[in-house]
Amino acid sequence: MKPVVRLGGASFSYPGAAVPALRDVSIEIRRGELALVTGPVGAGTTTLLLVAAGFAPRLTGGTLSGERDLLAARPGVVFATPWTQLTGLTHTVRGEVAFGPAAHGLPRADVLEAAERAMADLGIAHLAARDPATLSGGELQRVVVAAALALEPDLLVLDDPAAELDPAAADALYARLGRFAAGGAAVLLATPDPGPVAAIAARMLALEAGRIVRDGPPAVARPS
Amino acid sequence: MIGFVPGDSPLHRAHPYTPLAAAGALLLAAFAVGTPAAIAAVVLAALVFAVVGRSLAAIARPTLVLALPTWALLLVLHGVLGPEPRGLLGPLSLSEPGLTRAAVLGGRIAAILVAFLTVLATVSPARLVEAMTARGVPFGRTYLLVSTLTLVPRMRERAARILEAQQCRGLRLGGSPLARLRALGPLVLPLVLGALAEVDEQVLALDARGVTRGARRTALDPPADPAAERLLRWALLAPAAGATMYKLGSAVAAFVASRAVAGL
Repeated sequence: MKPVVRLGGASFSYPGAAVPALRDVSIEIRRGELALVTGPVGAGTTTLLLVAAGFAPRLTGGTLSGERDLLAARPGVVFATPWTQLTGLTHTVRGEVAFGPAAHGLPRADVLEAAERAMADLGIAHLAARDPATLSGGELQRVVVAAALALEPDLLVLDDPAAELDPAAADALYARLGRFAAGGAAVLLATPDPGPVAAIAARMLALEAGRIVRDGPPAVARPS
Repeated sequence: MIGFVPGDSPLHRAHPYTPLAAAGALLLAAFAVGTPAAIAAVVLAALVFAVVGRSLAAIARPTLVLALPTWALLLVLHGVLGPEPRGLLGPLSLSEPGLTRAAVLGGRIAAILVAFLTVLATVSPARLVEAMTARGVPFGRTYLLVSTLTLVPRMRERAARILEAQQCRGLRLGGSPLARLRALGPLVLPLVLGALAEVDEQVLALDARGVTRGARRTALDPPADPAAERLLRWALLAPAAGATMYKLGSAVAAFVASRAVAGL
């Protein structure tokens, strides 16, 4: 499988920060791969996602040194706080999920089809006509993931996407992400609790203080 | 209540540009007229606008809360401190031309507030986005306008969440005005910092959804825009714009004439 992103000795510092958030990171993420990113708070997991998907420093500011080859054409992103990822410009779940494909200028029928497919995938088709502002955190989280999947990204980065979900819903989401990766996309998933995801991930990146300290199958890469 | 209130009034059902055009016409008219009787007519028109939108009850309180301090200030500045001749109102000696000026300015503020708050209450942000998308307005401008229109309700919701959290930690909201003022401290900083952090994440989310790609967005459910409404918008805006231009032109001509006289 082809790589979608390659980092070589990459270091990243946020604007005004005295200490780099990422240090000398060298990884390659390939299509079809679901890689876990884990580490203690402040280890740089979120930053690794942002750098890998090309959002940092383009949108965050800061300084990136080293090499980065971003080969993904359509990176998608999901954060742990779904209410900050709503556009605020639509009044239905369908509109929210369709927002990305519509922004790409796809024909209306294609936009709606992509939205319906993504909602069905995430089990939220019954919420299509609801106002996103009236949903629970767990429902909202699935809406945000569906909105990302509707764009059919070739690289999807997710930062603790199950933070608002109950264990059963989290397992269903991880299974869906596993199928998505198996379909040819690359998935980079940061989570503080790799346990429930380890079964579907082929690889785990463990970070400490901005450095990758372990890179391998989940069984051996769990941080100490 | 400041913000959209779902409903089924003619303004709710209209194309979103129509209430905006009506509010724009009221704004222009408020600036074009200069006598208390004329500004009273504009205020009345603004109230009719609110009644048509069935939003008068929702906007009455915020209108008064926003307007009353300004009216009081105008009364002091123009009514009390204004020029001669003066008349007595009970124990108060008030400037007659100052009172006229205060009435015109106060009426202008009232008309603009009623028109603007009615637009906020009756124009659904989502329908406005669809209308602007259908017209090919670039997303950046749409986002800027809609974010501005929805800023107050979003900040109010966030402030309520922060206050609830602070009360759980022992913050007391009641008491004297001074105690209430002190309670603002724990609210303002998290409100501003939290809003900035949310904007950061929302920028990432919007960028990931392709809004910065420059493609023309597909309108999914554009509101109908009948010819009668388009005509109505022109009928509202053209006279108001004409009156404003006439007033500006007259003011410029008077200024030039006064300079010419001074030069002689």
